[in-house]
Amino acid sequence: MMRRFLGKAGIYSAAAAVLVFSVFPFVWMALTSFKPNEEIFTAVPRLLPTRWTLAQYRYVIDRGGFGRYFLNSAVIALFTTLCGIFVASLAAYALARFRFPGRTVFLLLILVVQMFPLVVLIIPLFIIMRRLGLLDSYLGLVIAYTTFTLPFGVWMLKGYFESIPSSLEEAAMIDGCSRMAAFARVIVPVSAPGIAASSIYAFIGAWNEFMFAMTFINKESMRTLPLGLQAFFGQFTVEWGPVMAASVIFTLPVLVFFLLVQKRLTTGLVKGAVKG
Amino acid sequence: MVALRVALKRYGFPYALLLPALLGVGILTLYPLLNTFWLSFHRYNLLRLGQAPVFTGLENYRRIFSDEFFWFVLRNTGLFAGGCVLATMALGVGVGCLLNVPFRGRTILGVAVLLPWVIPKVAAGIVWKWIYDDQYGILNFILTKLGFDFQGFSWFSSAPIAFLAVGVVVVGQSFPFIALSILAGLQAISPEIMEAAAGDGAGPWQRFTLVTLPMLKGLLLILTILSTVWDFKVFDQIFIMTEGGPAQSTYVMGIYAWMTAFGEMQMGRAAAIAMVMFAILAVITLIYLRIARSGEGLE
Repeated sequence: MMRRFLGKAGIYSAAAAVLVFSVFPFVWMALTSFKPNEEIFTAVPRLLPTRWTLAQYRYVIDRGGFGRYFLNSAVIALFTTLCGIFVASLAAYALARFRFPGRTVFLLLILVVQMFPLVVLIIPLFIIMRRLGLLDSYLGLVIAYTTFTLPFGVWMLKGYFESIPSSLEEAAMIDGCSRMAAFARVIVPVSAPGIAASSIYAFIGAWNEFMFAMTFINKESMRTLPLGLQAFFGQFTVEWGPVMAASVIFTLPVLVFFLLVQKRLTTGLVKGAVKG
Repeated sequence: MVALRVALKRYGFPYALLLPALLGVGILTLYPLLNTFWLSFHRYNLLRLGQAPVFTGLENYRRIFSDEFFWFVLRNTGLFAGGCVLATMALGVGVGCLLNVPFRGRTILGVAVLLPWVIPKVAAGIVWKWIYDDQYGILNFILTKLGFDFQGFSWFSSAPIAFLAVGVVVVGQSFPFIALSILAGLQAISPEIMEAAAGDGAGPWQRFTLVTLPMLKGLLLILTILSTVWDFKVFDQIFIMTEGGPAQSTYVMGIYAWMTAFGEMQMGRAAAIAMVMFAILAVITLIYLRIARSGEGLE
């Protein structure tokens, strides 16, 4: 009886510790962003703001240019997702349904490419983009981000397509559909949840990216959100209030997307990883 | 040639579907990789406008290998990545097992644990930097309240402590994936095996070490390799939290290559550093592929 109680207590305290470690930093981020400066820079911090305020958000959007950065991030992430997932889904379908010479090589390639350190790619990409005048442009970052969304998308979508029985499009083809039409009208709608999950993953990847953005973007008006955030740290003292408000603006969309698809996303990812 | 034509005719459709992706991967990753390799044998300073890369043979490699700082950074990276992998795996396995035990609130914990994994690394680095803040940070406040003298303690003024501080953030963001994978692995073990072991008199700890761990061996190995690859590449959190400082003491390979390229504009030497990094990761990846293929086959 005692032992059982101790076991339960152990489980709950471990769970509580993990919960605090995982969630507290982001709760603290949000809470700080609603505090006025005098409650942030204080020797005796309190958990909750005594006076809730939106002043930090107003400052970040009106004076910090974060509305513009948000727009930049959104446009770039959106186009990265659209291009990447479209191309990836074609390839993934071919890999899921056909056996052809070179298939294993291509699969290996897709897998290996994901292990590359981005630093290896960034030097030539920078030189090329400078030559083509793609620095400080949306297109430049969309292209750069495709380096990681494409292979990942292929890998993830291949898994989804394989889970759909091929009898589905065979039936459509007997009814007179071409192979391509069967793919577009039968497979794509059926695997819509999988495509959505992969798209969101690609979107999050592009939205979060920092190194390419920092390298390829110089103009203030072209900054993405992480660059806007990083700019706060150039000054001698850090204004933590606006920084936290900006971090919330940066994190919130990702969080919402994640909660929407977390179940599908996680099962798909784990399958991919475990399968190797 | 004939074989190629036959193959194209027979497999034209899948090849056509594959072509855009192949072009994308080729142009965006394979070509840059080869180009970096090529650049690593050249001197190329981007600040000197209009100057083409000059072939210098192995000069870049000779120079970095004879530079003490390179070895310092390599050791930093190895120790940091190694420490992070150990902590990530330990925490990941622990939390994975915890999530496999039925208790109230388990689903909520499962979702909560995953949060840090999708949070932008830049945002996580920043919020932790605020938590670690020497004057107004909540961590120093709590530690001081608990009776330790952490008032005004600076977490980023010496390398070992700074690495520890960044490591907490890196581990916090990478253990969720491990925990989830372990959970999936645990749920694939049939309960009968556990019952049989329990029937033979194995206690919980024995069941864990003698049944669970051996059954998860392949998975554990793959996850260890994956997190080694990820932690070896670490960039964002270090750049945000320490910028490699104080006095370059928290440089890791990623930061070193990037700074050489875009701080000093020495593209050739940076390419050589990046290639060393690539070679190390390639070896790890090869081991990964070997294990992954022998395990389940690359279906």
